[in-house]
Amino acid sequence: MGEVHTGLLQNSGEVPESTCHELLNLLSGERVRVSRRPIVHAVSPDLLTGVDCRLPSASRSRIRGAGTVLSRSSITGGRVVQGSSHTRIERAGSDRRQPWSHYLARPGVVEVLGKVKARDLADGFAEEPPPDGLDLGAISARFMDVVQTSSLLDRRTPFKIARTKLRWVAEPGEPAITFTLRSDQMRTIRLVHQGEFTPGVVDLCEDLALHDWLLTSLLVIIERARIGGTSATETAVKLAPAVDHLLHLWMPMARVDDALIPFWESLDRRPGFTRQWQSMVDRVRDQLAVRTLAFLRETGGGKAQ
Amino acid sequence: MLIFAISDKGGTGRSVTSTNIVYRHALQGNDVCYLDFDFGSPTAGAIFSVGSVARGTTRTGLHDYLLSEGSPEPHRVDVWTESDREGLRTKPPGAGRLVLLPGNEGGGELPAVDEEMLRRCVQLFSRLDEEFDLVMIDLSAGRSFTAELVLQATVRLPTVPFRWLVFHRWTRQHIIAADGLVRGGDGLLDVGARFGHDRDTLRDRIRFVRTAVLEPDAAELVGLRDEQRAWLSACDSELRELAGRHKVGRTVMLGKIPLDPILQWREQLISDEDVLASKIANAETAAAFDDLAKKIVDDNAWEGL
Amino acid sequence: MTSVNATFGEVTAERRVAATPLSHVSIELGHLYMEDFEAGPERLREQFRRVAPWAGAVRSSWQNRVPGGRARVSTCFLIDDYFSRFSTPAELVPMVLDAAAECDLTIDYLARESSCAESNGIELARLVEGRLVNDPPPDTNGSRPPVKESGWLCNGARSPQVGTVQAMGRTSPWAPPLQNAKRGHSIFVDVELWDERGGRRTWSCPFLAAVWQLLRLGLLRADGQVPLRPVPRGDGFPDDWESLPAIVQLNPAAAPFSAYTTLSVLSPRFLPVELAVRTILSQVAVDADVLRQVIARSGGEDIQLEEELVDRISYVFT
Repeated sequence: MGEVHTGLLQNSGEVPESTCHELLNLLSGERVRVSRRPIVHAVSPDLLTGVDCRLPSASRSRIRGAGTVLSRSSITGGRVVQGSSHTRIERAGSDRRQPWSHYLARPGVVEVLGKVKARDLADGFAEEPPPDGLDLGAISARFMDVVQTSSLLDRRTPFKIARTKLRWVAEPGEPAITFTLRSDQMRTIRLVHQGEFTPGVVDLCEDLALHDWLLTSLLVIIERARIGGTSATETAVKLAPAVDHLLHLWMPMARVDDALIPFWESLDRRPGFTRQWQSMVDRVRDQLAVRTLAFLRETGGGKAQ
Repeated sequence: MLIFAISDKGGTGRSVTSTNIVYRHALQGNDVCYLDFDFGSPTAGAIFSVGSVARGTTRTGLHDYLLSEGSPEPHRVDVWTESDREGLRTKPPGAGRLVLLPGNEGGGELPAVDEEMLRRCVQLFSRLDEEFDLVMIDLSAGRSFTAELVLQATVRLPTVPFRWLVFHRWTRQHIIAADGLVRGGDGLLDVGARFGHDRDTLRDRIRFVRTAVLEPDAAELVGLRDEQRAWLSACDSELRELAGRHKVGRTVMLGKIPLDPILQWREQLISDEDVLASKIANAETAAAFDDLAKKIVDDNAWEGL
Repeated sequence: MTSVNATFGEVTAERRVAATPLSHVSIELGHLYMEDFEAGPERLREQFRRVAPWAGAVRSSWQNRVPGGRARVSTCFLIDDYFSRFSTPAELVPMVLDAAAECDLTIDYLARESSCAESNGIELARLVEGRLVNDPPPDTNGSRPPVKESGWLCNGARSPQVGTVQAMGRTSPWAPPLQNAKRGHSIFVDVELWDERGGRRTWSCPFLAAVWQLLRLGLLRADGQVPLRPVPRGDGFPDDWESLPAIVQLNPAAAPFSAYTTLSVLSPRFLPVELAVRTILSQVAVDADVLRQVIARSGGEDIQLEEELVDRISYVFT
């Protein structure tokens, strides 16, 4: 299970790859990994956070788990930041808390002390986790903060936009995926995958979170632009940052494992992420084209034709 | 941008003015949020007509959040959906988000400032600045640990722009006290410099707002005798002279709010409907709020002196 | 048209971790401080005489474990040049080697303690500090950052501060510190990792000893590379410590410096230091790829390694 937070990098413009390296250099002696095709994507080293707390449960049973959470920060296209945390829940060999070295030998695993039903846990996490229970969101939010509050950024963003949070649970079984919008900022994914859990599942959820954030943000910007409700100039001014900073970032499945691509594709069929994105992009471009034509007419440039 | 609202004494109309400023700023199309840091008397909910938090929230309010109690995220109230006032419950077209972060019901002034509280405050400001065009923080009157806390927090967020509004009434005592709050011993400049602010830069980020101002030529005074008018006029020029001497004169004044019965008798948001339809509020008052809501982000009004 | 399987790779997007050769066991024959040196060569000979039988016992136990008796055993010796500087390599090293030879001991590798702090521009101590993952007390759910006392590391929850005045003037009473994975009663350990004076950081002896153990276990990497490799000895030994390589290979025929397991033969006066070392090591998150690499290697040799790295370290206090 995991939680990914996504937001706009707090800088006036896109940051270059070298700055991404500095921003994500969270662990000395570890390299920031960067891939440049089809879009620059930089990832910090994985870091561990120790936890020993109550775990989510749909039946509100008191289940205790101890272990470590794996987290990382990433920057896509020099523009979008993500903080991502996840852990695998496993049954412990013993019901008592082990020395800490035991858990550090299993990075990214939280062991359940006592009995637990996987379904109960997954349901509990996807619904409303208890406030005193495992809080992957708070950890992910801090991994975003580390980047966002860096002195290397000028914080003069072209527009203000909320972060989105995507909580996901993956279980083995017959492949299926459910994507739910729970509120303005909260989404959940229930994913059933064949065979063992792989880190590819985390990559998939991060990629979905990134594109959901792009969709959400573009929708907000279009709403703020009040197309038809205000002057064309004002609309164009409000839409311009979307063109400058968001439109080129849509690169679905760029880093998704081949075996997991069908999950993305099925969401792309219904509800149709790319379809919605494309129609909004067309709308933005049409608006700006109309504005340009009007501008040409006003300045007399249009008469020549 | 962060705006800190403070007053020299109680009863200046600081809260009602600052809430009206954010309301107007939202109507002008910006995403805004209001933080009730007046922990001793968290009544911003009442001004926004959100009955459920009229005297603060029973969930995780800002007071609990800073003292590390309750859930890790403070309670947020969306005024456009949760207000009890019919006229506020639908978001006008083109308006931005209007979010209230209430204090705690039965909370008290902060006992002191510690490192964990400061860390949380920095985290809160930084995350809200990412999301909102304007973040108004309403502080309790006079010198307090809350004021000290935010002065320390802004030192740690060097790239987040912030401004201070000092509210005072147009009387002899208030003018002297407002000057003392800013320039006096242990005043904002003193304490700010102690925690690492540059004194001159900080001074340039402070402006004064006069409240409940009775202009000698106001319509309300039409019925007065000539002797009374002459006396008022003399008082006013005396006060202007005093204000100039105490460096709270016109050059550092961002705006003034006329005396309006509606603000004296019931602290509330003044909507256009109150001015135009029911006519319970004066048009000048709404215009003054509207003007302040613009000036607050207008760099020309904040140029160094 | 048939579909084509395209493969595209980017070097900077992949993580590569270098491997290091590994012995079965690394035996530390001793650790020399200024006070030992000042006590003269007899003190050293006495120490080696005590160590020799244990070293022999461990060597033969591994020979029995490994098919064909081909156990790879390396020995090492650590000299403190961090907390105090004394003598010179030219004077000291031959003295140590002579004393060992008298007791039929061969020192394969000689290391300088300061290299555990920093060597060749790589700050090993910082590297390890970055890899500390605090042992969480119960009810740590991730909602707050881990409680860290700058420069200290403990195995549980510290006592709350006494005398804090809460609202309405109540003061909080004393409460005991608690060990996290206690069995019945707590043994609470709080270790100082470093201190700073005048902006200069001095790492504590247990912290450097923890780095030393990790080096011997071959578990440290800097940018995926092995940070320190032994350098074969030259003709003589230099007159200053800086000129001596961090780890010198004295015996050309020696088995690899790093090993699956370590044994340190120490005087009982080091007992508290080693408790602190274990407290630190049990909170160091070694790179998962490196852990896998070592497990795969040992598995290939039919050797069952302990899962937790603190269990790969053993001591003889004599």
